[in-house]
Amino acid sequence: MTSTIVAQNIRRTSLARRHPAILMGSLGVLALVLSFYGLSVGATEVSLGDVLRALVGDTSTQASQIVIDFQLPRVLLCWLVGTALAVSGAVMQGVIRNPLAAPDIIGVTKGSGFAGMLLLLAIPGLPVVAVVPAAFVGGLVAAGIVYLCAYRGGASPIRIALVGIAVSAAFEAGIRFLLVRNPLDVSAALIWLTGSLFGRSMTSVLEILPWVLVLVPLIIVWARKLDVLGLGDDLAAGLGEPVERTRRMLLFFAVVLAASAVAVSGTIGFVGLIAPHMARRVFGGKHFASIPAAALFGVLLMLIADMLGRGLAPPLEIPAGLVTAVVGGPYFLYLLVKTGK
Amino acid sequence: MSASTGTLPKPADSADAQRRPRITTNRQRVTWVTAAMLVVLVVGIGWSLSIGSSHIDLTQLPSAIFRARTTDELIVQSIRLPRVVLALCVGAALAVAGALMQAVAANPLAAPEIMGVNAGAVLVVVLAVTVVPSLSGAPTILLAFGGAAAAGVSVMLLAGSGRGRVSPVRLALAGVTASSLLISLTQVLIIFDENSTDSVLFWLVGGVNYAGWHDVRILLPWLVLGLVGAFAMARPLNLLALGDDMARGLGQNVERTRLLGSALVIVLCGAAVSVAGPVAFIGLIVPHIVRRLVGSSYVVLLPLCALGGGALVLYADIVSRYVKPPFEVPAGVVTALIGAPIFVYLARRQKVTS
Repeated sequence: MTSTIVAQNIRRTSLARRHPAILMGSLGVLALVLSFYGLSVGATEVSLGDVLRALVGDTSTQASQIVIDFQLPRVLLCWLVGTALAVSGAVMQGVIRNPLAAPDIIGVTKGSGFAGMLLLLAIPGLPVVAVVPAAFVGGLVAAGIVYLCAYRGGASPIRIALVGIAVSAAFEAGIRFLLVRNPLDVSAALIWLTGSLFGRSMTSVLEILPWVLVLVPLIIVWARKLDVLGLGDDLAAGLGEPVERTRRMLLFFAVVLAASAVAVSGTIGFVGLIAPHMARRVFGGKHFASIPAAALFGVLLMLIADMLGRGLAPPLEIPAGLVTAVVGGPYFLYLLVKTGK
Repeated sequence: MSASTGTLPKPADSADAQRRPRITTNRQRVTWVTAAMLVVLVVGIGWSLSIGSSHIDLTQLPSAIFRARTTDELIVQSIRLPRVVLALCVGAALAVAGALMQAVAANPLAAPEIMGVNAGAVLVVVLAVTVVPSLSGAPTILLAFGGAAAAGVSVMLLAGSGRGRVSPVRLALAGVTASSLLISLTQVLIIFDENSTDSVLFWLVGGVNYAGWHDVRILLPWLVLGLVGAFAMARPLNLLALGDDMARGLGQNVERTRLLGSALVIVLCGAAVSVAGPVAFIGLIVPHIVRRLVGSSYVVLLPLCALGGGALVLYADIVSRYVKPPFEVPAGVVTALIGAPIFVYLARRQKVTS
């Protein structure tokens, strides 16, 4: 009897659970290799040798100039945006206590989208970069509205989710209104809405970098609090956790991360939803391991999506957000079936 | 305590009477609500016919409905009247579909826009419009049926409604995520096809601004089919509301009721979306408001939902003309802005969330 249980336990603890560092390290190496390859994909073919030369600092040839000016910011943004979205999604799922939650749920995406569109369409010809602060603020405002509307002696996770859906719908209506009002500039706005890393420069990288550098380590340090919150409000309070305050802080971090990601890249769907799932499947439910893993999966997803978007039909660019939606949607549906049983 | 025994029975009795669940709704109340809704509808119709870029006097309306000799009469007959009729039809279709869906899914948050039914219809219609631009009219409606059916059925199955009651939140999250997938696919189609962007975008918001008799003719047969079917199903739906086991015990074929109800939802939503676009939130909020007013018996709920939905779209259309004249905001924007606070209110009530 006992021996069978022990045997099962041994079989169940995979390599990943016993030595998470090894697998996480190899995921990181995979991401690095992919990034290196990603530097060479694009409308103009750049050889891997040129990429290497450019990275070393030799910017004499035109090819290496392309790598430094156009490809490098994109790859860096893939890392930052992927990390931000995935960590934000992992926190959101932990706080809402529902595996279907995503950063979009709390209204960030639609709020950012609305604010960004307002600026893009009100002042046509504005460079995309100027949209970033507006979209960032828009996302925060939307999330604030959701939290306030859901607050009723504490914001229960379910209310947050439902109110988020409603507020998102209202902002969505606003976005559509703007689209209808200004049919001439719609194409650029729509591409931004779908989420793309096209034409981003180092400025965008610097706009998201501080948030990721500060908040992601903070969240990893707080990972145990997420584990405690996952036990339910009553038990968490019994363990001495100030539930409402912790939830508010964690939500705030998640929202800031998501808003900064949406602001620089537009609304890239499903990364925040499925990367945490992948991480949990491989590394188990403890947030201390699953959050960094989610970040790595997010980076991988973004790298692949952006590379496919650039490489599938050059010189035509398929927005990365579309690729993640097409790849992530079915995976999400599969998850839904699986968790339903 | 002992002193109050003499007086206790009376208040206890009346309190008991109040608490007793009301199965058949108060006839008088239903009459009043119906009368009020009809008045609101008639006022709305008159208002909607008379305003616009050329103001038409109310006294001219009765004659204008039947003949078209002067310019004003022509405007009423060929532009404003179809618009009003279409608004009523679309509102009725979506509201009744929402009520049906809430009954079939046994879930207060089930609604065509939440469950991805509308988004599915939209995706297939946009696909048809962008890939085969000449396609319009009757085939589109069939395509919309297909899209609505595929999206709605898959969300229901995936959210696990085959296995008894699903939690409202799970259903809502599943539906919203599926919708967002469908919407982003739709956006992509629009990005890649720049020629048809304008008309598609306007249709995408949902509204009856460019309605013609042609649209009404497409919608009407399906609407009649859907409404008659829904009204005929009122009693089985009432039984279904008692729970699956109870309904089965009372001799209901639960699966058949569900199947028929879902089919009607798809017909109503597909038809409405294919002519007017996805007008937001009608199917979610109208049934809740009407249920508040007249109770939850589907015998009276469904017809009143039809009236209320029509009124809501009609007034949203009127408001849409006032926001920024002469530009017209699509009615879908207005209904979304009205619907979102009501949804928030619903979510804040414990009943839905617990």
